[in-house]
Amino acid sequence: MAKSLAAKAPSQARRASPSPQPAGRIPKPKSKAPKRKDDYTSDGVDDNDVFLLPISDYQVTILVTIVSAIVRLYRIYQPTSVVFDEVHFGGFASKYIKGRFFMDVHPPLAKLMITLFGWIAGFNGDFDFKEIGKDYLEPGVPYVAMRLFPALCGIFLAPTMFLTLKTVGCRTTTAILGAGMIIFENGLLTQARLILLDAPLMIGTAFTALAFNSFTNQHELGPSKAFEPSWWFWLIMSGLGLGITFSIKWVGLFTIAWVGSLTLVQLWVLLGDHKHVSMRLFTKHFLARVFCLIVIPLGFYMAMFGIHFLCLTNPGEGDGFMSSEFQSTLNSKGMQDVAADVLMGSRVSIRHVNTQGGYLHSHPLMYPTGSKQQQITLYPHKDDNNVWLLENQTQPLDIHGNPINGSTAWNNLPEVPYITDGAVLRLYHTPTHRRLHSHDVRPPVTEAEWQNEVSAYGYEGFDGDANDYFRVEIVKKKSKRGVSQERVRTIDTKFRLVHIMTGCVLFSHKVKLPDWASEQQEVTCARGGTLPNSLWYIESNEHDTLGPDAEKVNYANPGFLGKFWELQVVMWKTNAGLVESHAWDSRPEAWPVLRRGINFWGKNHTQIYLIGNPLVWWSASVAVAIYVLFKGLAVLRWQRSCGDYSNTIFKRFDYEIGTSVLGWAFHYFPFYLMQRQLFLHHYFPALYFGIMAFCQVFDFVTARIAVVGLKDHPIINRATATALLALSGVVFYLYSPLAYGNPWTKAECNRVKLFSTWDWDCNNFLDSYDAYSSLPSVAAVPTPEQSQAPVIPQAAVPPPQVPIVNEEPAISGAPPPPGHSIVAREERVEYRDQHGNLLDEEQVKALEGKVEFQTRYETRTRLVDADGNEIPQSVEPEPAVAPPHPDVQGVDSETTKRSLVPDEPIPPPEKSVEGVKEAEEKIAKPASEGNEATKLASEGSEAAKPASEVNEPIKKEEVVA
Amino acid sequence: MAAVVDTHAVASGFDAGDAARRRNNVAGAPQPAVVKPVEAEDKTKAKKAPSFLQVLDQWEWLIVPILVTAVSFFTRFYKIGLSPIVTWDEAHFGKFGSHYLKREFYFDVHPPAGKLLVGLSGYLAGYNGSFEFKSGETYPEEINYTFMRQFNAFWGAVCVPMAYWTAKELNLRRPAVWFVTLMVLCENSYTTISRFILLDSMLLFGTVATTLCWAKFHGQRKRAFEPAWFLWLFMTGLSIGFVCSVKLVGLFVTSLVGLYTIEDLWRKFGDTKIPIPELAAHVVTRVIGLIILPILIYMLSFAIHFAVLTNSGPGDAQMSSLFQANLKGTEVGRDSPLEVALGSRVTIKNMGYGGGLLHSHVQTYPEGSGQQQVTCYHHKDANNDWFFYPNRKDTDLDIEAEPRFIGDGQTIRLIHMQTGRNLHSHEISAPVTKADKEVSSYGNLTVGDEKDHWKIEVISDAASRDRTKIRTLTTAFRLRHEVLGCYLRAGNVNLPQWGFKQIEVTCTKDNKPRDQYTHWNIESHVNEKLPPGDPGQYKSPFLNDFIHLNVAMMTSNNALVPDPDKQDDLASQWWQWPLLHVGLRMCSWDDKIVKYFLLGNPLVYWGSTAGLGVFGLLVVWYTLRWQRGFRELSDDDVDRIHYAGIYPVIGWFLHYLPFVVMARVTYVHHYYPALYFAILVLGFLADWFLSPLRKSIQYGAYTVLDVVTIGLYIFFLPICWGMVGPNKDYSYMKWFDNWKMSDA
Repeated sequence: MAKSLAAKAPSQARRASPSPQPAGRIPKPKSKAPKRKDDYTSDGVDDNDVFLLPISDYQVTILVTIVSAIVRLYRIYQPTSVVFDEVHFGGFASKYIKGRFFMDVHPPLAKLMITLFGWIAGFNGDFDFKEIGKDYLEPGVPYVAMRLFPALCGIFLAPTMFLTLKTVGCRTTTAILGAGMIIFENGLLTQARLILLDAPLMIGTAFTALAFNSFTNQHELGPSKAFEPSWWFWLIMSGLGLGITFSIKWVGLFTIAWVGSLTLVQLWVLLGDHKHVSMRLFTKHFLARVFCLIVIPLGFYMAMFGIHFLCLTNPGEGDGFMSSEFQSTLNSKGMQDVAADVLMGSRVSIRHVNTQGGYLHSHPLMYPTGSKQQQITLYPHKDDNNVWLLENQTQPLDIHGNPINGSTAWNNLPEVPYITDGAVLRLYHTPTHRRLHSHDVRPPVTEAEWQNEVSAYGYEGFDGDANDYFRVEIVKKKSKRGVSQERVRTIDTKFRLVHIMTGCVLFSHKVKLPDWASEQQEVTCARGGTLPNSLWYIESNEHDTLGPDAEKVNYANPGFLGKFWELQVVMWKTNAGLVESHAWDSRPEAWPVLRRGINFWGKNHTQIYLIGNPLVWWSASVAVAIYVLFKGLAVLRWQRSCGDYSNTIFKRFDYEIGTSVLGWAFHYFPFYLMQRQLFLHHYFPALYFGIMAFCQVFDFVTARIAVVGLKDHPIINRATATALLALSGVVFYLYSPLAYGNPWTKAECNRVKLFSTWDWDCNNFLDSYDAYSSLPSVAAVPTPEQSQAPVIPQAAVPPPQVPIVNEEPAISGAPPPPGHSIVAREERVEYRDQHGNLLDEEQVKALEGKVEFQTRYETRTRLVDADGNEIPQSVEPEPAVAPPHPDVQGVDSETTKRSLVPDEPIPPPEKSVEGVKEAEEKIAKPASEGNEATKLASEGSEAAKPASEVNEPIKKEEVVA
Repeated sequence: MAAVVDTHAVASGFDAGDAARRRNNVAGAPQPAVVKPVEAEDKTKAKKAPSFLQVLDQWEWLIVPILVTAVSFFTRFYKIGLSPIVTWDEAHFGKFGSHYLKREFYFDVHPPAGKLLVGLSGYLAGYNGSFEFKSGETYPEEINYTFMRQFNAFWGAVCVPMAYWTAKELNLRRPAVWFVTLMVLCENSYTTISRFILLDSMLLFGTVATTLCWAKFHGQRKRAFEPAWFLWLFMTGLSIGFVCSVKLVGLFVTSLVGLYTIEDLWRKFGDTKIPIPELAAHVVTRVIGLIILPILIYMLSFAIHFAVLTNSGPGDAQMSSLFQANLKGTEVGRDSPLEVALGSRVTIKNMGYGGGLLHSHVQTYPEGSGQQQVTCYHHKDANNDWFFYPNRKDTDLDIEAEPRFIGDGQTIRLIHMQTGRNLHSHEISAPVTKADKEVSSYGNLTVGDEKDHWKIEVISDAASRDRTKIRTLTTAFRLRHEVLGCYLRAGNVNLPQWGFKQIEVTCTKDNKPRDQYTHWNIESHVNEKLPPGDPGQYKSPFLNDFIHLNVAMMTSNNALVPDPDKQDDLASQWWQWPLLHVGLRMCSWDDKIVKYFLLGNPLVYWGSTAGLGVFGLLVVWYTLRWQRGFRELSDDDVDRIHYAGIYPVIGWFLHYLPFVVMARVTYVHHYYPALYFAILVLGFLADWFLSPLRKSIQYGAYTVLDVVTIGLYIFFLPICWGMVGPNKDYSYMKWFDNWKMSDA
């Protein structure tokens, strides 16, 4: 950059050469002492401080606000159900109120404000905003209050635009035009009427633009204004604005980049003014900006996270994203201190370091593929099935030289059986009496050559075989300094488990097993897996010889900064991971031309569809294009020494509109670099700058550039502005049913649907407005309960450990047993007490809050014949001997190679797939921001257990029939 | 961005006067720096006294290049045949060389020139192409691998004198020139990489040669349109063409020359004294010399590639059906009936770059409709076979009747031979590309609806203007879904594991007739009722093949993404390279094997990396000073910083940053071209900081630098020439744990 600046030098020389200015063409700066040549005061700049406007302008501001409020608040209660991303942002409000930790890719400010509005209106957080179209009225959610916050932001956007335009020196008429274009922008309006983050983001950006333009104005007035109150005020406001914007969405970074680059330019010019600006003064300028534009925003941003952490004190569905240290700071997730030394015979839970998949886990279900032995997974919650007994390679010998058997064998040994680096272990799964085992069979999901399956193998009393041996290798770099690097200690020691026979290392990664393992995380044994994914540590540790006075350890508290930084990293990674394509996403190149919108909501023959006001939208794009053309030409002419820049108006046109177009560019082009899913509303900040640029061009052409000839006829400025304003109002009106969710008719819809890429569905609307009145009242229609699988009463409960017999394998198209087919999979929740008796709902209600529920997942297969009758199924007994062992019998030949089944039965004739599936496709979907969090939620919600006087736990069983 | 920003500086009108001051200075105010040339003269004068030294001084321009070239050839050739096993990527490039000798079509991500040269070296060595080049295997007796390696080493060795001339052309003073040359000569990584059958020595040669030609061309800038000027312009174009034809990394040095040319022309454009015709002549000569000439060379390499590879081989499937049909020994298009009729059994190939065959298998979609999957797949098997069937409104297929031919505008069904299902689409989002519709196999001969109907739209036919019939291989057509109005498309998006990573097939609503991914052609065709023809008689045009192959290369280059779960000991990351954080074992580390380890000279690496930082500070310092009104640099100084400093830095960035951004797996040797530019920067800095100093200090400093460079080179030389015996013997070189030249 420095170089290109240097290259500009010749033109400056040209400009500086005293050429007599043509009289009457350039307005002379008013009432100022003759400026020195290299004074940084700019030519042709007036003091446009917002606080010095004439009274009439303030009246206009109020008027604009009122109009804006009317347009924004009209029927804000409509629709009465959840729309688009209200799913997320409404949901976050409930979680704030409940204090349950969640993870979202956006910083907290706007969500906190929405929560505040809801909380004041009496929202207690009991509504879950689960899906688009879920009714608000029945549960009495104060959704109007919650929508009011974005609406207020949206309302104030118009007066902000008005004042910003005044600040950059536009006529009042032009400023009104700008405000009008904001008011009548359908897209901005649609976003501002719903519980979404974009309206707050917009007001943040707009406020920053106002503040920084005001500051620039003060700065350009030269040394006389520097460090005056007004100068300071706007500089501080710019910083605050940046902080606010950045604390709403990370898009605020682009605003920071805009302010930052313009500030650098200002500083550069200051540096060059060596006649007026001493190094000392320059440093003062520099530090003032560092403080206001870096320290203030950063402090504000961190303060917001401080509040965020204060609000979210309980565990919630976001836990799964965070490290164990982080989680232990949440209420009731904090752990009792654990015995530090891990010994042979310890009962431990082993946790994976790099992923938040949880504990090494096994349960009495078999792999449907590979060895068909018992599954090993990672399970995120505390459970008896996570407990492993650490056994030595051989049982210890008693004084007679006979091996001591049983799990307490290591209790009374002469010397403490520490587990040192290189010790060989067997991991015994007490609940199922099997041992951790691996062999040369491909894992169920990751069928890579370098990965082996890990299973649990054996039976009660089985001595085990050589494939059960794992060697502990302490990774010193990752372990706490000191003893923890020499022998295994709880939490502090990170180690690898090397399988002795094959040399592979116990490994896990973010790959989920299919339904047959309740979507728990896959565990494999990898040769040459990455180190971070091969690390494990021990979290809970019990040993009979370790009494209450044994040395204890616990997680280190990460502190605010640690938590703050960890959350930033997780947010960044999650954000970058949102790459899956979405039915309503769009790429940046489609935005300036308004190619496509987003379907937000549809019900009762009305629809909300995010689409901009084409007139406003295209005007903004045209303004940008005009400036780019102008700039291209100007640069060429400048290089050919044409001396345009000696004309003050030319110079101001270039700089002022350039500033806005730079803002547009900074809020637009970075999206090209993003791989994540993008939506039309990501263009809104750029659009705001585009509209500003349009109004400035309009102002210059109609009122400032003498050559055009319109300058002397203010009537033209007013008339054109009025016409444009009226026109955008009309266009707004034409598309408004999509913004408000109002009734519309097919004919009118089709009339304004100019392009086929504007893909709202006109057939959805009725033929006439009258038809709407005959519909049942919108509010009264209950939400259709969709896709609720019928709960089939369970007669006799089969014994709990049924291996999956007829479960269809994930990939291979093996035909189901002849004559039967698995008709449907259902999920149901049963509650049982400690004796296995089924409890009915009333009993469960009564017990809720008093006792602890434990979850068990179980899969059972019911066979149903063609008429829908259940076929009684012979329950296969648990095999008493060891299940087939691939090491003995050779690798199972039925590994999931695709097999051709040419004469597979063809499904019964039906009318293609018209119906449920296809209807689903047309439904609006929330953007998947934070989707991942929701997914984990289903597993995490039980984690928030009430601390209570625990009786015998009641088992809650989920049965998949 | 810089352009936008700086125009603001100008436009805001804050600035005035600075430039005027600068201009004045330029006009010739006394400069402190003028002293320097005088000093340089002193140096030459001092040498004049003894006659022998005087002769040496006079003939330095000849003696030094000859000397360093000799040493360079010695270090690159010495004991080159010591290790008789296939080392590292020799496995790839040797194999590709063999393909040329066997004339079998293969596919690779790199352009052909380098591999053609490897093939040539094999040919010269009398090798017949029969060796498999399996990694780690011992070379059989009949292969003169030593000659093949020497052929490669030649390119690496020649870099050294070229570095000498480049440094000289960039106006570095003599000791700095020697220092630069010495750093290139005594660079262990350059030595090692040059000694095997790899493309890197040629790439390095191309990069160095392009830089040299560019510097020479720049040196002629005051003598435009004279023979020497033309010579170096075209030499630059020639070397650009060569380097780009070896590896696409050559595009980075090309952009360096491109940036220089743009700046040069922009300055000339700003010089109002140059008449417009002359300006135009400047533009035209550069377009010819630097754009058209390299492209021609690049295309020439592909023309030779296609001319040599006339037999069917492992790379067929990446090319269009028509191209495949023209290879010797191929199955494609042999004895196929020419025109397609209802009842024909066909395979349908996607005409997009890297497109596969339309495929379906019994596995179903796990989401969406849950119907049978339809994908695109390169492998040839029975699941690619489809029957053309009449649509449901049409009269049913009568096997006995005369064949009914299919043409433009006709509506047909496609039935998957193995499962008997119809190609089907419906209002359900495709599994990955959510904006498109899912395509599945559904129903059977009788079960189904009009969503099985596809309308044929012929795009073009290489063989005939007649559109009433579809011809094997030559007709390009689209399939339009009758109900939804969308087009069948396979856009090189891979399905997840449940779809076996095959290519997703969708139905897209965009009606873009030029979108090649919606174009299909018949590849194999069986119909017993029709006479066999010879559809392969039409040649596919060279330009089509050329573009097709190039796009396929890009696509598969981007697909070389590492498995994030797998620990790759060979791969390294961009931040490790300038710090010399890791090396690379080029072969197995068995005690019986001659071992080679890829690691650079620490002084060169660390020095050049530090130099980049120092240079950045230098530029910032002088820019800030300039803006504050200090005029301490002469025009000459600015020019030297500009061309001997800033351009090499840009060259370094251009060769380095792409690897930072790139998602593909990267290795240490990807840094070598960038390192060359860093060496030039270090040479410039030595010159800049040392030349104003007293002569004795200067000599002292240069001596230390040179001696340390040579010393470290010799110290680490065993890793280049081959480590014989147990690796423990070499643990003395293991300064850090990450330098794994020894297990000890």
